[in-house]
Amino acid sequence: MIRFFKSRDAELGHLETGVLEILWKLGEGNVHQVMPLLTRPLAYTTVMTTLDRLYKKGLLDRRKEDRAFVYTPRYSRVEWERKRAGDFLSGFLGQPQASGELLISCLVDAVGRHDEALLDELERRIRERRKEIGKRRKA
Amino acid sequence: MIAPYALRLFCLCLAVFFLVHTAAAVTVRLLTPAILRFAARFRAHRAAAVLLGARLLPPALALFAVAGLCAPSYLWLEPAGTSEEVGALCLIAALLGVLLLSESLARSIGAAWRSTQYLRACRQTALAQAPAGAPRNVLVLPARKPVLALAGVWRARMVLSQGIVDALTEPQLAAAMRHEDAHRQSRDNLKRLLVLLAPAMLPGVQGFGALEAGWARAAEWAADDRAAAGDPQSALALADALVRVARMGTGPSTAALATSLLADGRDLAERVERLLRPTPVASDSGLSSAVAAASLAAVALMMLNPTVLNAVHSALERLNH
Repeated sequence: MIRFFKSRDAELGHLETGVLEILWKLGEGNVHQVMPLLTRPLAYTTVMTTLDRLYKKGLLDRRKEDRAFVYTPRYSRVEWERKRAGDFLSGFLGQPQASGELLISCLVDAVGRHDEALLDELERRIRERRKEIGKRRKA
Repeated sequence: MIAPYALRLFCLCLAVFFLVHTAAAVTVRLLTPAILRFAARFRAHRAAAVLLGARLLPPALALFAVAGLCAPSYLWLEPAGTSEEVGALCLIAALLGVLLLSESLARSIGAAWRSTQYLRACRQTALAQAPAGAPRNVLVLPARKPVLALAGVWRARMVLSQGIVDALTEPQLAAAMRHEDAHRQSRDNLKRLLVLLAPAMLPGVQGFGALEAGWARAAEWAADDRAAAGDPQSALALADALVRVARMGTGPSTAALATSLLADGRDLAERVERLLRPTPVASDSGLSSAVAAASLAAVALMMLNPTVLNAVHSALERLNH
């Protein structure tokens, strides 16, 4: 269902996301600079194709330098996240039976789940700290 | 517009208030990121003082300009009983001053009224007999939703809900009460009222949101530090209380002039992290009082200086005409 509402631009594969992350860190880079920073070794052509695909999706700008393309992200990470969220919302609300209430309730649920996870994590940290203090006192 | 002596003084005071306040407010607004960074270098209670000072600086300077310079120089050097024309610039500035002041007055009177009503309602609905485990001298509301607040300005009362009494263990409740008591000792609700009384940057343009939010956060952290008092066990009890109250969900909104244990849940993780590594509470040195006394003396000397008053009077004449 989520896939249905995603816009085409917003759909990124794992490799594309990884490459984009690297370019956000580097600021700009060519295939040679991106390759060693990937989590797994990949062929030159694979990385080149991925960069080219991101360029065609409008997520990267490129210029030629010494017979090789240097790629620069067109959006900052924040801008990209905002664009994705905007695309998702307009995709959802553009459906014939879209319901704003349903969307809001899903968002509230998601935030609630996140809060529960955060509270669990905080409780775990407090328990650990209490143990630490107890051990120190015994020692 | 031809205006008699007293009306002219009134217009001039308002105009000077508006002009000085706007200049100071714009400066503080532009410097806000730097002020926030500067405050972050201090411990929470000092950071709260810095941020509150920055927020109250524009009205304080404007009040000083009016009461310390404008009014004395006018009363001393302006011939009494004369009627003179008041210039358009002075009139416009005075009108904007009225707008600015009336906005903040309305806001603070509204908040004080709602606070009084809230406390009255709490007194009426509070349980006649505090349940077992609840501390004395607090209003315990027969509600399941989480309420743990210090409400009111002059005679602030702690308000608790039955849900909180049931959910927290004795050490957690004690830590939470120490947190609210720290707010009482720092007179945070009075400071809240002062912040509400402090005019916005311009009529209809608040401009101090980041500074006020920064102060509120630092005040919460300072109350946490005081409640923990550098003791790891107390700090952990308070951290536990924060998480438990957060689990209870959002409570009903309290009054504007009330501090709440979890007023802004957005920095919950940061507060808990701080409490896991509590720092000893530093005692206030006499330095700040000495600096304040020296500043007051300097200001009094300046106000009594005829040269300064003459210069102020000529500036007022220019503004007026």
